[in-house]
Amino acid sequence: MIKFNKRLLVVWIVLAAFTLSYLWIDHSLSGSLTSSALVTSSVIVIALIKVRIIFREFMEVRQAPVLLCRLTDAWVVLIGAALLGSYFIGTAIR
Amino acid sequence: MVDLADKSGRARFVPGQPDMWAFVLFETLVFTAYFGFYLFCRTQTPEAFLHSQAQLDLRIGVFNTLVLLLSSWSVARCVQSARAGAYGPALRDAYLTAFFGLVFGCSKVFEWAQQIQLGNGFDSSDFFTYYFFLTGIHFVHLLIGFVVLGIVIYQLRSPARRSQQLVETCATYWHTVDFLWVLIFALLYVVR
Amino acid sequence: MSAVITPPASSATPPTGPPHHRIAWHLWRSPKRELWLAWAILVAFYNLFFPVFFIVAQVQPPPQPTWDLATQVHWFHERQLGIPIGFGIIFAIGGMNAINNALIAYSMRRMSVTRAFGYSYLIIYSLSAIPGLYLLCIALIVGTLRPDRDPEAVGWLYDFAFLSFDGTMGVFLIGSLIWMVAILIDKNRVFPKWFGYLNLCNALTEVVVAPCWIFRRGVLAWNGQIAWWLDMVVFGVYQVTFIVMLFQMIRREDFGTGPLPDLARKKAQKNGEA
Repeated sequence: MIKFNKRLLVVWIVLAAFTLSYLWIDHSLSGSLTSSALVTSSVIVIALIKVRIIFREFMEVRQAPVLLCRLTDAWVVLIGAALLGSYFIGTAIR
Repeated sequence: MVDLADKSGRARFVPGQPDMWAFVLFETLVFTAYFGFYLFCRTQTPEAFLHSQAQLDLRIGVFNTLVLLLSSWSVARCVQSARAGAYGPALRDAYLTAFFGLVFGCSKVFEWAQQIQLGNGFDSSDFFTYYFFLTGIHFVHLLIGFVVLGIVIYQLRSPARRSQQLVETCATYWHTVDFLWVLIFALLYVVR
Repeated sequence: MSAVITPPASSATPPTGPPHHRIAWHLWRSPKRELWLAWAILVAFYNLFFPVFFIVAQVQPPPQPTWDLATQVHWFHERQLGIPIGFGIIFAIGGMNAINNALIAYSMRRMSVTRAFGYSYLIIYSLSAIPGLYLLCIALIVGTLRPDRDPEAVGWLYDFAFLSFDGTMGVFLIGSLIWMVAILIDKNRVFPKWFGYLNLCNALTEVVVAPCWIFRRGVLAWNGQIAWWLDMVVFGVYQVTFIVMLFQMIRREDFGTGPLPDLARKKAQKNGEA
């Protein structure tokens, strides 16, 4: 059980690191109010990586039947497609 | 629920009721639709959105995310402890999860008050409409999460109950509140 | 319903034979015929309701809150005939709602939960038809009655109709939650748990539509992409699902008080006694 607890803590540290990376992104933009497709895309991708980690580690999908693994992975892809799609279609239409 | 054993010999299982997973996936689709509308709207008037977004404090958002991720950690630990029969530690972790949830909730209310004092209300601008809408509907989910945690605590307290499936089901719901926030945080606070 | 004192269904088994014989038996002699009648009324109601609102009266999708008075008056003129005819139909079939609610309340009676759930659902949904349906119908019919009415008054009726329709979701919210809680704590397995959670999804859409009181434009206005369009998608999924769920419940019904038996697999039926 100690092994499990350690794994969960490591998972949290990884997620926290990804979260803190947003601070770094914000800092490197330092106050410039410009929209950027690169920033938006990377931010969304990082968020999706975090969501997948939450699915697999915290929600125990790693140990779930293959169908659930595939379903949650498909969902992550679907969310990514919807978000990036909305953003890029919107940018194109404008 | 038990499927063929995986390579390491442990049987694969669906955590909690499959019904809750159906709900999680469906609700995620609904939120994705909200996010899609938000991102599309954003691209139509980017300067206005950027200007409003600058009024948010990223550090509060980061703090919120870290706290909610901690709550997910503690509820995941709770599930594992309960599965191993260690109900004392599991109960403590459930209370810890509720505590983190409470910290998140208070922080949110504090942030809303701060924004309203700055003059940014629900209908001040398109960005703030989305801000209050997304954080608001998420907050409703958080409140439901407290009820769900109450069920976990109720189950763990007495040896007569302690349904592992129910505890896992409730934990699955709580993690959903967490990962929805991860997305909301990225889209409201960081996206440019 | 006299379901409680009806003898067990095992003494009345459906006959084998051509489909029309079996259907006729179900509608005429089966102990469940009253349930089937209620379900048929439910389906008939919605098959009338949606075409009336969308095609005959054309009041849904809703028009914009931002229109000026002249446009609103023109909107009423366009529906001079459609609204009175359509809503005349709605007034005539409105009573069917009582049967719909009774069928849902019946499902809660069949559950292992207290009867209070069924009764409170009945009360709430009976009352909710007034702000949730009839006020809109009355206001819009009044709006079309006199073509030369003062535009200010017409504008008032326009706002009143759509705000009452979209803004009074609170009662439906509570009703959905009552059904959800009943399903989740039920031990008779009348409905699967995921259907209880779907009730929660539906209840949450009622929360989402509430801001339409504040917004006259944008995604949260009464015709907004989120408050109307997205909510209609969720609502549509919910409607179709609960009609199917009630159908399954009636098929499984054994008029007992214990867990509702699952439907026998079709294969087993064929392999069993013919």
